[in-house]
Amino acid sequence: MKTVICTLPFLLLLANLSAQVAISGRVLDQKQMPLTGANVFLQGSYDGTTADSLGNFSFKSKLKGTQIISATFIGYKPFSRKLNLDSTKTIVLNLVLEETGGQIDEVVINAGAFEASDEKKAVIMRMFDVATTPSAQGDIFGALCTLPGVQKVGEDGRVFVRGGEGYETKTFMDGMQVSSPYMSKMPDMPTRGRFSPMLFSGTLFSTGAYSAEYGQALSSIVDMKTNSIETEEKSSISIMTVGVMGSTTKCWKKASFSLSGDYVTSGLSNVINKQQVDWIKNPAGVDGTLMFRQKTGKTGLFKVFGTFNNSASGLNYLNTQSGVEQAILLNSSNVYLNNTYNGMLGEKWMIKSGLAWNWDIQKFDLDKDQVATTQRMTQAKLGFSHFLNEKTELKFGTDWVNFSYDQKIRMNGNYRLPFINNQLSAFAELEYKLTKKFVTRLGARLENSSLLNGTTLTPRLSAAYKTGNHSQVSLAFGQFYQNPGNDYLKFAPQLKPEKSGHAVMTWQYQTDLKTFRVEGYLKKYSDLVKFTNPLATNPLDYSNAGSGHAEGIDLFWRDKETFDLTDYWISYSWINARRDYKDYQMSATPTYVSEHNLSVVYKRFLEKFRTYASLTYSFASSRPYHDPNLPGFMNAKTQSYNDISLSLTYLMKIFRRQSVLHLMVNNLAGFDNVYGYNFSAKPNAAGYYESTPIKSPFVRQTILLISIMF
Amino acid sequence: MKKLIVTLVLVSLFSNLIANENYQKAINQSVKALFQSKTIPEYVEVANQFERISNIEKGEWLPLYYASFAYIMISFRETENAKKDQYLDQAQKYLDQALAIDPNESELHMLQGFLYPSRINIDPMTRGMTLVSVMNKSLDKALELNPDNPRVYYLRATMTFHTPEVYGGGAAKALPMFQVADEKFRIFKPKTAISPNWGKEMNDSELKSVLELVKK
Repeated sequence: MKTVICTLPFLLLLANLSAQVAISGRVLDQKQMPLTGANVFLQGSYDGTTADSLGNFSFKSKLKGTQIISATFIGYKPFSRKLNLDSTKTIVLNLVLEETGGQIDEVVINAGAFEASDEKKAVIMRMFDVATTPSAQGDIFGALCTLPGVQKVGEDGRVFVRGGEGYETKTFMDGMQVSSPYMSKMPDMPTRGRFSPMLFSGTLFSTGAYSAEYGQALSSIVDMKTNSIETEEKSSISIMTVGVMGSTTKCWKKASFSLSGDYVTSGLSNVINKQQVDWIKNPAGVDGTLMFRQKTGKTGLFKVFGTFNNSASGLNYLNTQSGVEQAILLNSSNVYLNNTYNGMLGEKWMIKSGLAWNWDIQKFDLDKDQVATTQRMTQAKLGFSHFLNEKTELKFGTDWVNFSYDQKIRMNGNYRLPFINNQLSAFAELEYKLTKKFVTRLGARLENSSLLNGTTLTPRLSAAYKTGNHSQVSLAFGQFYQNPGNDYLKFAPQLKPEKSGHAVMTWQYQTDLKTFRVEGYLKKYSDLVKFTNPLATNPLDYSNAGSGHAEGIDLFWRDKETFDLTDYWISYSWINARRDYKDYQMSATPTYVSEHNLSVVYKRFLEKFRTYASLTYSFASSRPYHDPNLPGFMNAKTQSYNDISLSLTYLMKIFRRQSVLHLMVNNLAGFDNVYGYNFSAKPNAAGYYESTPIKSPFVRQTILLISIMF
Repeated sequence: MKKLIVTLVLVSLFSNLIANENYQKAINQSVKALFQSKTIPEYVEVANQFERISNIEKGEWLPLYYASFAYIMISFRETENAKKDQYLDQAQKYLDQALAIDPNESELHMLQGFLYPSRINIDPMTRGMTLVSVMNKSLDKALELNPDNPRVYYLRATMTFHTPEVYGGGAAKALPMFQVADEKFRIFKPKTAISPNWGKEMNDSELKSVLELVKK
């Protein structure tokens, strides 16, 4: 004990006797700007301080020998270096910190791309925005129609991008193909997407020049990201004027399982909302979706998504070609399975793999005739990302798609039109950040089709440069191939893929709550399918002699800041598009193209009424059509298109449960929109070709929904 | 020889004691400075102190707790939204580290619940929906681990007070909640001198203004 008593003061004395070293200097970034508030310290000790407003720091230490001095600051990589404290009593040094990536104001390639995400920060939309856009009526594709570059094509419902047809937009789910993303469609009637926006946490929508990871799309891609693992058990029941819906979610520590289903029937709705269609059978359908998610290891996520749908409808349709009214009955079924596994392999490799399967059958009964079309798709995909260093990422992968098509026609005899295609693709893409401000991406995609018996190689190139704290310029070029539509391939398998080239230039200014972007583009089409007449069945009637071009400017402005509790966005597109394809007599603007498109979406929370109100106004200038009564080709124009839609969401409690009352009114002002005209094939006795206007199935549509959550 | 071993053991024991004393001294000073801080630079300074302490005391959740708390306070004072998110990311980073050290500490779950409102305020329309339920989960967990944690009661009361009446909030509804929180604060005894012991003054002042509002 005595020893201790002796030792202790000695030890303390020793500590006090040791000389102090004064360490001072400045903490700076790579541009020599001071980093105010940086933490400077000697590792393994309490000795340290905070850099002042000029980046200056100074502190004293009693430590000896070689120590490590460190500096840390938010948004910068921690800095460390060795320091010998023995040689001198004062040390002066500057510490220079390097910025970390992944910040909100980092340069990213965004030419052509609109991203909606609940996980990332610097995106243009959230999935909530998609779900509450009134003109969309809860349809993801409908919401995309409020973005610039998309044409309003009311009689179709699919996404027509920058002078491209609906089929030129390909849909993906977690990177895997969705071969039938839309509900089966009646002639001249709008369709909608199969999937509820509630199933997704993000959507990447590209209107041109997309990454080499995506192929078989001439104009655009939509990649929907399904929800990750759920962390909250919940259930809900909804009653609508168009049916019932229910969902439930169960959670475990590392897994979750969700089940949802609905029965939709427009019987009641078609009584409430005046119809412009002569229904024989009101549209009705049943859907079911299951999702299973399992975390594996630290970063791995295994996802299973399965959905089925059956729907039926019937209407009387005036077939202007034959001049008679036909009863059309449609019955369709669809099953889609999507399994993916993503995860890190070590620190520098990431694997992205998937398996998808689709089965789809559509049966049309036209009076006594019948057309039944079965489509099957199987896809396997394997991709890797390799992070070579902080500046370079290499992505590559391969995917195989087996597609079989079989159409059975009973019309004055029995016919069968089957074909099978095996599509094998490979892609590679290198992204390199030259500096903090400049990034480039170089890619290529190789595709081989067994049916079309050919191989294509396409380049993709893009770059972005940061022009200011919140602004950047992006440029992108790419070449794209897409196999001709099934309706042509079934007759003429000798066709080549259709081809397009995109050049896109974007300038974007983005802060947290405001976004402005302007995008100009040039598009060239070649090898488009041309045929002698719409009813041609001889393979020789089809060729790849078609071509076309499109150019335009898209503007987008979104502001969540200026007005209290208010969020609005405005999209405007100008386009000039011409094509010589199908049975066109010459190059002309296609019927689905309107020169000017405008969408205004306004959302406001009305605190007093506990109501979330959204309003959309859409405008599209007149569309061309061909009137055989007039000289020339594509010689007439429709009136312009106008729509005002409203939705109100009222939050309340029913049986002490969180509940929502949702009201949607489409075409509130009752505009009488005409999308085009159908002309009879033969003139009447007076030598005049009679026509019928193509209109929306309803003038105004009101849907009411009550949802209770458990 | 025996004597030497005894000496060495005792010396090492003492140096541990001295180290511990250093920790106590350092964190005591920093906690004091934390609750005297008013401006962002002051909070940054004290957060840096806690970060330095946490670098050495790897098994202690308290320095990380206070570093996280400091950054939440900074986020309340910051006006630029992008920076707010950045500060909250930093706060979350410290909190995650602390939760890894002691996942069953009620105060850490309470702090997690305290972090979310600042996140929600940046973009209430899109964040409110998802984050409110996560926040409640954290507070439930905090109560499960310590049913008498007064800060949880205070946070619930103030959230209710600042929620519009139409949503089941308002002064009248919040008053009994502030009173319960008040009770909990009165009986609360921090485990150590440096354990979390804040919130009473906030509760007192809000209780006062709520009482006045209800009287009217």
